[in-house]
Amino acid sequence: MSALATNARVVKALGMRSVRQTFRRPQLIAPIIVFPTVLLAIQTGGASAAVNLPGFPPVESFLQFMLAGAMMQALMLAGNSGGIALAVDIEMGFTDRLFSAPIPRFAIVLGRLAGTAALGLFSALWFLAIGLIFGASIEAGVAGALLAIVLVTASALAVGGIGAAIALRTGSASVVQGLFPLVLVVLFLSSAFFPQELMIEPAKTIAEYNPLSFIVEGIREPMISGIDATDTLYAVLAILGIVIAGLLLSARALRHRLRVG
Amino acid sequence: MADAIVVNGLERAFGEVHAVQGIDLTVAEGEIYAFLGPNGAGKTTTVRMLTTLLLPTGGAATVAGRDVVKEARAVRASIGVALQEAALDPLMTGRELIRLQATLQGIPTAEGRRRADDLLERVDLAAAADRRVGTYSGGMQRRLDLAAALVHEPRVLFLDEPTTGLDPVSRKTIWEEVRALNDAGTTVFLTTQYLEEADQLADDVAIIDSGRIVAEGSPDSLKAEFGNPHIQLHLADGSVAEAEAVLAPLGKLLPPRDGRCVEVEVPNGAADIPRVVRALDEAGIAVESLELVRPTLDDVFVSKTGYHLEEESEENAEKAPVDG
Amino acid sequence: MEATSVPLPAAAVELPAWRANLATIAALMARAKNELLRVPGAAIPGVLAPTIFFLGLNGVFGGLIQLRGFDTGSYEAFIVPVSMLQGAGFTGAAAGVNLARDIEAGWLDRLLVSPAPRWVLLAGTVLAASARALIPATFVLAIALLLGADFPGIDGLLICYFMVAAMAAVAACWGSFLALRFKSQSAAPLMQAGMMALILTTTAYAPLALLSPWLQKVAEVNPVTEVVEAARQGFVGSVTWAGTWPGLLALAGMLAVLGFLALRQMRRTAL
Repeated sequence: MSALATNARVVKALGMRSVRQTFRRPQLIAPIIVFPTVLLAIQTGGASAAVNLPGFPPVESFLQFMLAGAMMQALMLAGNSGGIALAVDIEMGFTDRLFSAPIPRFAIVLGRLAGTAALGLFSALWFLAIGLIFGASIEAGVAGALLAIVLVTASALAVGGIGAAIALRTGSASVVQGLFPLVLVVLFLSSAFFPQELMIEPAKTIAEYNPLSFIVEGIREPMISGIDATDTLYAVLAILGIVIAGLLLSARALRHRLRVG
Repeated sequence: MADAIVVNGLERAFGEVHAVQGIDLTVAEGEIYAFLGPNGAGKTTTVRMLTTLLLPTGGAATVAGRDVVKEARAVRASIGVALQEAALDPLMTGRELIRLQATLQGIPTAEGRRRADDLLERVDLAAAADRRVGTYSGGMQRRLDLAAALVHEPRVLFLDEPTTGLDPVSRKTIWEEVRALNDAGTTVFLTTQYLEEADQLADDVAIIDSGRIVAEGSPDSLKAEFGNPHIQLHLADGSVAEAEAVLAPLGKLLPPRDGRCVEVEVPNGAADIPRVVRALDEAGIAVESLELVRPTLDDVFVSKTGYHLEEESEENAEKAPVDG
Repeated sequence: MEATSVPLPAAAVELPAWRANLATIAALMARAKNELLRVPGAAIPGVLAPTIFFLGLNGVFGGLIQLRGFDTGSYEAFIVPVSMLQGAGFTGAAAGVNLARDIEAGWLDRLLVSPAPRWVLLAGTVLAASARALIPATFVLAIALLLGADFPGIDGLLICYFMVAAMAAVAACWGSFLALRFKSQSAAPLMQAGMMALILTTTAYAPLALLSPWLQKVAEVNPVTEVVEAARQGFVGSVTWAGTWPGLLALAGMLAVLGFLALRQMRRTAL
């Protein structure tokens, strides 16, 4: 069997373990899905009058606007939780078992990311379903829904890479867990929950340049108006940027982990 | 003298599981009473009922003359408790912990401080008193737990497996302290899975298995049920039949285990060894080795339950689940 | 063998019940502060969470203030009491998590085996949370004032702080009830999420008229809405008795219900 095929099998096996782990423990999934859902309900209910603000994008409902933000929040939490799971593996010594096996080291990270991507996919489907149930339609139809799903899943992978890098660097689950507030901060400083033009400084300027804003816009546009090539391109570029950053950081962190043991 | 603890038909069921199935016992004031049994026998459940931490599902009990259900608060004022999990706060210092215990017992601040100092001295923790409990060794934590249980000078002291997990030196220290307390008049109810602990400390022992008391009495009386000590002789040569003929007048012969071993029960223990050896020597029968075998609480335990206590405890320790 | 100390007669040694109870509550509150003072960084999450929410909500939804219906021109002023109450909810729920940890470690058994009444044990946890909640509240308030919110006046400030302390007590009763019910720290998300949902399904983001219909209905029946409005008074206008008593009543009601549940659960735990 060729080296590529062997590596692919390893990644698949680790990936399946990661996915099984993720979905076998509902009490871990629940906060990732439930928290953004509750926040979605509260923010949609509380700030829905925002659609009347001059300059607010034309939407059917505030819910239609907010769905992308909820997906973003879920995938960020998924990335955080993937990092926690990897850190737990390190603390328990499971990664030592993997390191001493004749498998490419990076397969370990890729396998972990599979679980995060699966969670991202799940959250995309979940919020699309919520949106449809509560009356928010997707302007771009099935194509728009598929695009949203792809972007969310890819973003989950990207963010998962950052989470994995942090886990490899620190080797501590409680440190990775402690970064959860940071997730919220970064989201607040983007256009996840409100149109960037209508935000208050300095959040407004930060959101303008925040890569997460580009991703959110890419997910949102198909829902509220239609698929826009520019928005989609920016979203893809932002995701790629985070993927590359995640890969570089993970590789460095992996080398560090192998050095310190 | 009034009885410190009286238990009648005490039961506790957890759904389908009957952890304690009708226990009767009496502990006289000033006694040391030991509950001996393996993990899962119902020892801790019984202690929790007697210390008002758990409601019985049947039967009744009084401690220091008060009903554990109807007069729970009065019971709590009269007892000291050191539970299996040394219930300590790692962020507090030893001194702070005993002072807190004194406050919980309603002792005025100045008096509480004085007693804390005395008790820390007594359990040899004065030097570590102002260090955080989280830095204490297992033995130190148990001693602190014991000291805290004594701050209000309770009439009855409950110790749930006080030396489990401790090294032999720490174990001996705890035993000395328990004996000293008892000498000063405190009634002690302790649970243990160690035969030696029950044998060494207790005035009375109850053997508990699967929620029932299967034997009760003083260690000596329980062992005496299984007869006198016997001498086990391994013969270098000569036949077992010949040796038995020589020894028959000296004591009661026991069924032989194998072709080279003779066992005779003797009334005076070690003092009978010279007679036995002389008799065999005069008959020209050479002895390879000789052992004086005394019945132990384990013999009692095996005869009542069908398995050895120490092995069972070791097996349970190995099988203990790792929390994940 | 002589005892180390001569035992005094019991009557001379023990305190009258009310003094013993007060001393016990004070001792338990003193223990509670150990976590803040002896664990480096322990205070940070409790302060960080409401501050992030305050800055985030302000930055994100601040534009709402342009809509008609707000009594004030400052969104900071509008939401700072909400963030302070969120801090109270977080602190109270954390007290519940600490209790769950104490239960798992066997520490609660030590308290339960003592003659201290159950309500005294609960009061120690609850009052400690009330006091502790003032820390994040002050921090958030300071940030808000720096960002330009108007000072609410002494009366507005005192009312707000009182509401914060009382809300923390409500949250601590809720957290304690769950801790005693489930005897495990895994109930922590429920403690936190429950409080968050309770505080935010009110006029937290916007006045009643601007909320979407379903949230309006919820906010109308949610007692915490009265608490939010009462705490907000000094920040958006002037303090009146009419604006205060509904909040006090709501707090008293929640304390009564949740306090009763927690106390009942504590009694059941011991038995």
